[in-house]
Amino acid sequence: MTEPIVEYRGISKYFAGIRALEKVDFACRPGTIHAILGENGAGKSTLIKIMAGVLVPDAGEMLLEGRTVSFASPDEATRNGIVCMFQELSLVPDLTVADNICISDPPRRFGLIDRRAQVRRAEALLARVRCEDIDPHALVRELPLSRRQMVEIAKALGRDPKVLILDEATSALTSRDVQTVYDLLADLKGRGVSSLFISHRMHEVEALCDTLSVFRNGQHIETFAKGAHSDTEIVRLMIGRDVEAQFPPKPQPKALDPILTVKGLRWENRLNGVDVSIGRGEIVGLGGLDGQGQKELLLALFGVLRGVSGSVEVAGKRGIPSSPYAAKSGSTRIALVPEDRKTEGLMLGMPIADNLLAAAFDRVSRGPVIDSGLASRAVAEALAKLQVRIGAPTDAVMTLSGGNQQKVVIAKWLMVDPDIILLNDPTRGIDVGTKQEIYRLMRSLADDGKAILFYSSDYAELIGCSDRVYVLYDGRVVSELEGDAMTEEGIVAASLNIDVEAA
Amino acid sequence: MLARLSPEDRPIAIAALFILAILIAGTAYTLITSGTVPLLSPGYLLQQLQTGAFLGICAAGMMMVILLGHIDLSIPWTLSAAAMTATAVGGDLALPTALAVGLAVGLFNGFGVAYLRIPSMIFTLGVDTVLRGLMVAQTGGFAPQDRATPMMLFLAKEKILGIPVAIFVWAAVSVAISVILTRTAFGRSVYATGSREAAAYLSGIRTRRVIIGAFVTSGLCAALAGFLLTGYSAKAYQGMGNAFLLPAIAAVVLGGTHILGGRGRYAGTLVGVILIVLLNSVLSIMQMPEAGPQIIYGTVIIGMLLVYGRNARVTS
Repeated sequence: MTEPIVEYRGISKYFAGIRALEKVDFACRPGTIHAILGENGAGKSTLIKIMAGVLVPDAGEMLLEGRTVSFASPDEATRNGIVCMFQELSLVPDLTVADNICISDPPRRFGLIDRRAQVRRAEALLARVRCEDIDPHALVRELPLSRRQMVEIAKALGRDPKVLILDEATSALTSRDVQTVYDLLADLKGRGVSSLFISHRMHEVEALCDTLSVFRNGQHIETFAKGAHSDTEIVRLMIGRDVEAQFPPKPQPKALDPILTVKGLRWENRLNGVDVSIGRGEIVGLGGLDGQGQKELLLALFGVLRGVSGSVEVAGKRGIPSSPYAAKSGSTRIALVPEDRKTEGLMLGMPIADNLLAAAFDRVSRGPVIDSGLASRAVAEALAKLQVRIGAPTDAVMTLSGGNQQKVVIAKWLMVDPDIILLNDPTRGIDVGTKQEIYRLMRSLADDGKAILFYSSDYAELIGCSDRVYVLYDGRVVSELEGDAMTEEGIVAASLNIDVEAA
Repeated sequence: MLARLSPEDRPIAIAALFILAILIAGTAYTLITSGTVPLLSPGYLLQQLQTGAFLGICAAGMMMVILLGHIDLSIPWTLSAAAMTATAVGGDLALPTALAVGLAVGLFNGFGVAYLRIPSMIFTLGVDTVLRGLMVAQTGGFAPQDRATPMMLFLAKEKILGIPVAIFVWAAVSVAISVILTRTAFGRSVYATGSREAAAYLSGIRTRRVIIGAFVTSGLCAALAGFLLTGYSAKAYQGMGNAFLLPAIAAVVLGGTHILGGRGRYAGTLVGVILIVLLNSVLSIMQMPEAGPQIIYGTVIIGMLLVYGRNARVTS
């Protein structure tokens, strides 16, 4: 076996007395693709942040190619060949793609940035990740999330890594891009680069990695070669207990009373006549490649978009809600769990209790004044219902792990007792245990007569959770799949609009 | 001790300690130079609070706007315009007139920021200038009535049970603002909107109305302060509000309200106002040459913000 490129000896890190990592010994070797597995809060992020120079360990030492090192800043780590792509995208939205790719070390001429060289370099790197379609002059904020993630990958490549860390790097990618990333990592592996790969998608880990390390509660549980443990065993290592069937059982299909009927919905050039219908007690999935109008459809139904045309009928009443306020307070209430929980779903700096109550102040108020007894009972109930693990309701919501944050977003909406629940990729970046809790919750809400419409970029989830799936392509529904027709192949084929083109 | 306080309470505690330090330093100075302790006499302190009431009421309104991450730079001329219009109308209609001016300016500011999406720093600065122009136009050709009405004189100068009425007005405004912020849906929505407007909007909070509400509160507070100040100085005059803008912002920020919005407690603003009033009065007792107090005043504000800034560093 080769010498490790990075080695941890007894590394510990505490935040305000709470253990994030404890006496971790860990090594990764050149020419491997190494998966780091663990639930949210297991210490994966802390592990890589130490490696990337963002955090300084409280105890223990880190060795890089046999030398003891300690990085004072991410820049120093980068200069030593450790390049990290963080879970939160680290691009500057108002700069161009080329500016972002070359941001840390732009090509210079007479001390000024050489824009032409910069664009050439960006083009070369984008070509390496097969994203020639991205214009290096485009502003990052104009790109959809999946494209931004590819830009991020190109930026990381440009730094010539010896160790490449990918933290949830594929969470927003389309399947074609995921394949590109796979090929890229295989290529880097051949050149002796060590890649650390953090993902909650087991099939990606399966397809890609050769070594796996499991973390739990800040401790390194085990490192093993791929194939040494079955999936079930790995999940057990991750959560320390057995898990039951991944998706809750579906009820027999029955005739449903439609609560939401959408016909010919159009918005700018993103929605080109969407027809969708959902019944009470039904979970309907939205499939398709990223950026085919799924997000816009959900936002339009929630009253966020201006200038939407087409017909929407909610429980017999026609009309599109004029604002989120109108959507949540009509006679048929609509809730939306947005795509990005950190900026759209939560007020991160505010207490958990305030976040939970944000949509339901009118339900805990007498007149204009909030009844504090009523409010704290409602908060306690919501936290208990979703089994959110927190310290105190007055803690800032950013102290929670990603999974618990998402539960807070969902709990907030359950407080208004919505009839229609729209979810935009609700399990993105969430650990296995919490995912399953969310699946069970969705099913139990449907059993209570709620209608659920959700978009997911994970096909297994769409198939496992939904009663029906609409596949969107270019702002239209190209296929509606039900029962046994809901297979991964069926969805992929419809996503690429293959059968429709052939017909 | 300070380390154990929550991040919200820490600035308030630091500011309170600083008030003590000012009192001690000022008293030591007067003991040495004249052998008296005027700073610690109840009469003197009440008089300081009375003059502090005008600033305190302005700062209360300003805090609502700063909690949203916005700012209201139109306070000086909202105050002056409300006062001058009120005295021109005179009689029993003076108070409703002043408040109507404040309401109108607040609605206009709120409309510009919430609906037209113009940055508040620019929009309210423009409104301030427009108001100044309007007031010059109003007083330009002829001299309107500028005498304070009896009610103004009563609210600003009289005492009840030995305590100036102005302090009661300030206390009433303080109770109102603090109840609004902690106990009403509107107040909690102000925090939510200031913390992350997109998330608040997607939670079904009517963020535009919240923004308008905050600017209206600020306008009303400035108008009320102008009403009182007219009584205190016996007449309304141009530029009477000019001295209040920076101290009002400083009081809010020294009290621990985050200048980018979302965090802060009303008790902090109260402490911040008292700090600024006492600092000014101690510096004037020390009879420094004119430049001295200004340099010290500015240095103290920057220094205290540095202290908070280092503590309140939040990573997300």
